Amino acid sequence: MAFVEAYNLHKTYRMGRNNTLHALRGVDISIEAGEMVAIMGPSGCGKSTLMHILGLLQPPDRAANPPPRILISGVDVTNLSDSRRTQMRARTMGFVFQSFNLVPTLTALENVALASEYAGQSRSTAAATAREALEWVNLGDRAHHRPTELSGGEQQRVAIARALANRPALILADEPTGNLDSANTAEVLEVLRKFNREHQQTIVLVTHDREVGATCSRVLLMRDGVIGDEHPRAAA
Amino acid sequence: MGLVIGGFMRLVRSLTRRKLRTTLTIVGISVGIWALVVMSSMANKIGALVEGGSIYYKDKIIVIDATTLGFGFGSTPLPLAIADQIRAVPGVAVTWPEVQMLFDSEAAAAGFGLPDLISGTVAGADQGREQFQVRAARGRLLTAGDEGSSNVVLGSDLARKFGKQPGDAITIRGREFTVAGVLEPTLTAPDTTALLPLEAAQRLLADSAPLAIRQGMVAAQLVSQIIVYPEEGVDIAVLATAIENQVDHVQTLTGKDFDEQIGSSVAIFNAIILGVALISLIVGGLSVINTMAMSVVERTREIGIKRAIGASRGRIMREIVLEAGLIGLIGGTIGIVLGAVVVVIANEAGRDSGIILFLLTPNTAAFALAFSTVLGMVAGIAPAWTAARLDPVEALRYE
Ligand SMILES: Nc1ncnc2c1ncn2[C@@H]1O[C@H](COP(=O)(O)OP(=O)(O)OP(=O)(O)O)[C@@H](O)[C@H]1O
Ligand SMILES: [Mg+2]
Repeated sequence: MAFVEAYNLHKTYRMGRNNTLHALRGVDISIEAGEMVAIMGPSGCGKSTLMHILGLLQPPDRAANPPPRILISGVDVTNLSDSRRTQMRARTMGFVFQSFNLVPTLTALENVALASEYAGQSRSTAAATAREALEWVNLGDRAHHRPTELSGGEQQRVAIARALANRPALILADEPTGNLDSANTAEVLEVLRKFNREHQQTIVLVTHDREVGATCSRVLLMRDGVIGDEHPRAAA
Repeated sequence: MGLVIGGFMRLVRSLTRRKLRTTLTIVGISVGIWALVVMSSMANKIGALVEGGSIYYKDKIIVIDATTLGFGFGSTPLPLAIADQIRAVPGVAVTWPEVQMLFDSEAAAAGFGLPDLISGTVAGADQGREQFQVRAARGRLLTAGDEGSSNVVLGSDLARKFGKQPGDAITIRGREFTVAGVLEPTLTAPDTTALLPLEAAQRLLADSAPLAIRQGMVAAQLVSQIIVYPEEGVDIAVLATAIENQVDHVQTLTGKDFDEQIGSSVAIFNAIILGVALISLIVGGLSVINTMAMSVVERTREIGIKRAIGASRGRIMREIVLEAGLIGLIGGTIGIVLGAVVVVIANEAGRDSGIILFLLTPNTAAFALAFSTVLGMVAGIAPAWTAARLDPVEALRYE
């Protein structure tokens, strides 16, 4: 059974009275547990939109026919309430964004601990979890730095520690290396791959970088709101 | 504990990221709470005065000359013989004569609070009926044995004002007296009163009486009022009417009269305080709403991140509301401290002239603090609601 399955995802943005934009035009996707999948495609083809829908951050068009369906480990999550979706995000998903997205007033440790607190840990347990997660990305010595006191690569590693802290089954990374140089890109990928390999965490990542795509088990190509060709490893 | 402080510090750091705006908001609340504290302290003092009076007048009837206006402090003298007529009225249990007059011959019955007073009675004349008891802080109280002497017991404020201790000499209305004792503070009339033996007070009353009266009477026959205690079970209002009907040229004052006359002016004052509280509520509240609304807009992206990684709507709301409450708490604390400073300074300055205007009670401080904190939190609700309803994806895209 696939870990993440979605059928007939459409997303339409209404831009004005007679102007609609179809960001997704019927995406079907199926990802096995423990896979590390790259999604590639030109700018504006709907990659981020798809990630947000899979991450339960926004719903697909409900009017689509047949109606859209999203299943996570076999459970239909298409019509969950906001609070249930929030809970799913907190406990079974980890997010990494292109622009790091750390809370500027919090230290690295506090940023990571947020994720564990949201997942229901006490503040002290969350702090301990966060300390451990920072060690995974080799930032134990930067725990009390604010984001502005960290390099771009370090900030993204903090964000990855935050995504990994609760050991979520699914990690959604939208261009995690988009703002990084090649050395930092390699380091970030290494961490992700390590967790994918050692803890069988399922990873879906969006990238424009062919080399990044080449390190994944599978590459999905998107174009104009649909998933087109599927490339086996290294074919991208 | 460390974790609680850690959480608190997170809030503080979040607050301090827009220092100027947060500061201005806090200043706004401080000023409002400051005004509230100062006004309430004034109301407390007046309330204590009035409450003392209310207790004092509750169980007795004061008989004064018919020409005196209400609760004045310089009433027209009354012949002592009237006490006999009053005692003849059925239902009267105990009566005793009292002299009451302004301490100072020149002082108008002016300003806030009570004027300094002279009160003369024969100690013990109440036969144990008086419920409003005073105690000596230093020295002693007067006794019946002081009749004929020039001893005086000073209220706490008076003693401080003149710097007198037991044993010191003091001149009152041109006559020499010796301080026998100083009263404990009562927060009401006795604090500004000099207690004299009846005879001595009668002499002072005679000195001050209009020439015509002075010529017609001897000092020992003049008093300013007769205090009447009813027999058990006798209705005060009924007895007061009976006295007015059966004794010529007198009027009566009861606790009900006091509460009506003085209580209404206190009500007006309380309304003013309520007004100040309302204004500070509106100004402070709007200022917090504005600050937090701007803060939410600036933090849109941060809220998007938090929602994305699993913060519930309730958690986002709580965060904003607590932050707004913290602004209120800080503003309130500063306002109370400033208010206390004003109260202390004004009271110290007023002490020399015997005017104690303010009474800052722990209740007032606690109320002001709770008020400002709750105000902040309530004002934070609308911005917090907005923040909680943000679409996570749009918030994440927000630059
Ligand atoms: N809130 C929105 N309102 C209107 N149009 C939107 C909105 N969000 C996305 N779009 C549009 O939907 C399309 C897909 O956007 P999306 O962000 O998914 O693209 P993408 O593949 O992630 O692009 P990139 O590689 O540049 O990140 C784009 O044309 C975008 O302009
Ligand atoms: Mg994108």
